[in-house]
Amino acid sequence: MSGSKTVKIAISTLVLGLAFSAMLYSSLSEDTQYYKHVNEVMTQPANWYGKRLQLHGHASDIRRKPDSLDYRFDVAYGGQVVRANYTGIVPDTFKDGSEVVVKGTLGPEGFVVEPNGVMAKCPSKYEAGSPGNPGGASHPAGVKQTSAAN
Amino acid sequence: MPALGTFLLLSCFVVAAYAATACLAGARRQSTRLTESGIGAFYLVTALMSVASAIIMYAFVTDSYAIKYVDRYSDAAQPLLFKLTAYWGGLDGSIMFWVLLLSVFGAIAVRNSRESHRELIPYVVAVIAIVEMFFLFLMVVHNNPFETYLADIPPDGQGLNPLLQNVYMVIHPPSLYIGFVGMTIPFAFGMAALATGYLDDSWLRAVRRWTMVSWLFLSLGLTLGMIWAYEELGWGGYWGWDPVENAGLLPWFTATAFLHSVMVQERRGMLRVWNMTLVITTFFLTIFGTFMTRSGVVQSVHAFGEDKQLAFMFTAFMTVLLVVSFGLLIYRLPLLRARHELDSWISREAAFLANNWILLFSAIFVLFATMFPTLSEAVAGERLTVGPPFFNKWMLPIGLALLALTGIGPLLAWRKSTIDNLRYQFLWPVVAAVVTGGGLVALGVRVWSSGTCFALSAFVTATLVQEFVRGARVRQQYSGSDLVTSAIGLVARNQRRYGGYIVHLGIVLMALGFAGDGFKQEEQLLLKPGQSVTVGPYSVRHDGIAITQDAQKQMVTARMVAFRDGKEIGPIAPAKWFYNKRTEEPTTEVAIQRSIGYDLYVVLAGFDAQQQSATFHVVVNPLVNWIWVGFGILAIGTLIALLPERALATAAVKVPAGAATGSSTTVLLLLVLLGASAFPVHVHAQGHVEGASTVVVPMSPFEREMQGQIVCMCGTCGRQRLSECTCGTAEQMRVELAGLVKQGYTREQVLDYYVQKYGSQEPLAMPIDKGFNRLAWAVPYAVGVAGAIFAGAAAFRWSRRRHGPEAAPAVEATQAEAWQQKLDEELRDLD
Repeated sequence: MSGSKTVKIAISTLVLGLAFSAMLYSSLSEDTQYYKHVNEVMTQPANWYGKRLQLHGHASDIRRKPDSLDYRFDVAYGGQVVRANYTGIVPDTFKDGSEVVVKGTLGPEGFVVEPNGVMAKCPSKYEAGSPGNPGGASHPAGVKQTSAAN
Repeated sequence: MPALGTFLLLSCFVVAAYAATACLAGARRQSTRLTESGIGAFYLVTALMSVASAIIMYAFVTDSYAIKYVDRYSDAAQPLLFKLTAYWGGLDGSIMFWVLLLSVFGAIAVRNSRESHRELIPYVVAVIAIVEMFFLFLMVVHNNPFETYLADIPPDGQGLNPLLQNVYMVIHPPSLYIGFVGMTIPFAFGMAALATGYLDDSWLRAVRRWTMVSWLFLSLGLTLGMIWAYEELGWGGYWGWDPVENAGLLPWFTATAFLHSVMVQERRGMLRVWNMTLVITTFFLTIFGTFMTRSGVVQSVHAFGEDKQLAFMFTAFMTVLLVVSFGLLIYRLPLLRARHELDSWISREAAFLANNWILLFSAIFVLFATMFPTLSEAVAGERLTVGPPFFNKWMLPIGLALLALTGIGPLLAWRKSTIDNLRYQFLWPVVAAVVTGGGLVALGVRVWSSGTCFALSAFVTATLVQEFVRGARVRQQYSGSDLVTSAIGLVARNQRRYGGYIVHLGIVLMALGFAGDGFKQEEQLLLKPGQSVTVGPYSVRHDGIAITQDAQKQMVTARMVAFRDGKEIGPIAPAKWFYNKRTEEPTTEVAIQRSIGYDLYVVLAGFDAQQQSATFHVVVNPLVNWIWVGFGILAIGTLIALLPERALATAAVKVPAGAATGSSTTVLLLLVLLGASAFPVHVHAQGHVEGASTVVVPMSPFEREMQGQIVCMCGTCGRQRLSECTCGTAEQMRVELAGLVKQGYTREQVLDYYVQKYGSQEPLAMPIDKGFNRLAWAVPYAVGVAGAIFAGAAAFRWSRRRHGPEAAPAVEATQAEAWQQKLDEELRDLD
């Protein structure tokens, strides 16, 4: 392989690599969500307004508007509480006291949960991952508990 | 029994070590006797592993709950099938199953290639034996499935997770395992080729089939996973970019890339370094996937629990693997020089190259995104997550580009395509694509990704049809038979090429299915009796709720009627089942109305028995069934490519028209059968629950820290930490811990308290790292490393001694023989 060819290959690899990294970086900033416990956020709530969050805590005081799918509930963790609003189907395991991760944005009015943004931790007899961690240990609304042997 | 099992595993380790050492030494000393003894030992591992597997299965069948593994994954009531398959239901057993498969595959591969690749075999045996040793080592020091309870043998087991008691879950993991383990064989041959320096293309021929078979099983495993998710999980989709799904996908990408680029090497002698890299990478990714799902590095519903020690051992193994394999590759670079250069960018080589880069990029991207939460936590200290939308955003254009290449590749000539050639080849496919695209726009389809996908599908299909028709015409002219017979003869004459095209057709159908997702319509709502909802062409009316009971469970079923375009198509019954012992967590029984165009998919999400109202998730999934059909065709194509060369050739040459139509009917029948089997019977998983647990939230950071240091002692949770475990025991222990913290215990005092209470360090998440404990940690590693060094040194010394000239003629004789054989093969492979 001649020198000039190596240089050409190196340059094109570099350019492609940079382009991909730039694209990756820009799309990442849109699509990433912070994964936080309620107490980490609610001590300085104003800092988090408008940011997409996955909030981990325990649900309590769940109320549903009659004949609708509008829910209102508290999420508490580490002594801090936030009020959450949600419209849609909740998972079977979503009960008072259950451990949940909610996806959405925080505002002065409370936490607005995005569609299908309620995930409840399933108590699993299987040696599955730890609760409340993102990436699947909890399930979106309507999803049955899963674990697979592989 | 368990003692025998443990002993067998230990002997497997020793025998595998001998096999590796003897083969390496034998190869270097050119001692046939030593090599033969190594191969014998290698077969012995297979035998020993089979016996050990038989023992554990026997233990499951006879309910020997003294063995911890049996206790955890089986109970008396479990059906026999699930008792047997519980073998690979947990971490320890799945590693053992892995070694069993590897030893069986290794034995078959060695037997098959023993004569034709005489010079490679010793190294192949050594590499496979070393991989076996790693997994055996894991089992012996860390995850022994034969571990027993010393006292308090439980009267009944805890039972396999009901979700795994499902037919898909019986075949899905082994299928993936076969795919994963199969990839070790190409790696072993590649390493052997590098080690010996026999870097002509003969090692490729030895592994092509293995790669294809493994690839097929990997595809099957992934598809089964999709079907399971679609039918059992009830969220209306089939692929959620879960880390475990991704772990299976990663080697699939690189294996697919290899299957393509290997053709460039065979035809043109190019990409030789690249192919080797792909083989190594594929194998590495299978190990990495295992590591990812078993060490707790990423969290997933499917993953086995967190395990630092296991993570450490895997990391060490993977590091050694990368250093050795790429080190060898770099060492042999001078021998791997390409025989040709790329002549033109408008050539089939270039198309293959592009396909490879895209596939590799997909693998890197998926790996990156899967590891992103872990990476961000390690780098930035903050856990950032990316969800399916992020994956989709990237993988959609990548998938479309791949689909386009599927069509473009076969149209380009090797070396260089001329303008005339391009016009001749591309005219009809492009017309098909443009017509389809234009038609879709005219019909008002506005989903750009799916629209592009449809147009590309038309393009690829036209390419395939053109290839078949043109090929068949040529053949027809010279054989004089009709077009269909000629087409079949064509496939038979060149199975790999046309089998590959059939695989492409399967991919197109799957792509259609995926594109259908762009037109998915869904609705979540609450319906009172008599109310109905319309989604897409379907509407469903809710008539009320029926609550019925059988011995096992209470079933809440919504009585509904489905309509399509206003016409009644019959009752549907989405349900929730509450198992008597597990009422906390009902299972969701999806009602699916399948059709070629659309699936109506109704989930009962909640209900109010008094008012008879219920909440539903109604989804209309267009084209989803084409994914399963597409897989069926993909499997047929792969099988055709895999068939022994003469099997089809004789049939097609001798059989005249009538019979040939018969065989095409058989193909059709097969297709239908496979399609039917892809529409799986409704198998219901059972839900699983434990008692309701109110969680004690730590009051202080210190308490939270301590919850992370103590594990749940109920004995069933697999040493989950208190902060993570949800069972009742953990609950009590958390209360207890909260009390201790309140009393002002320090860290040492708390740890001391638990050590006192349970009489050992068992409740501690990590052993106290000092004094004797440190030694206990170090011993297995020290023994392992010492063993490895000893074996290496022995191999080296044996191979040094007696390197006399008298060995040389014998070598030449074997080499001459090998070359003769290779020549024969090459001649046979010429078209």
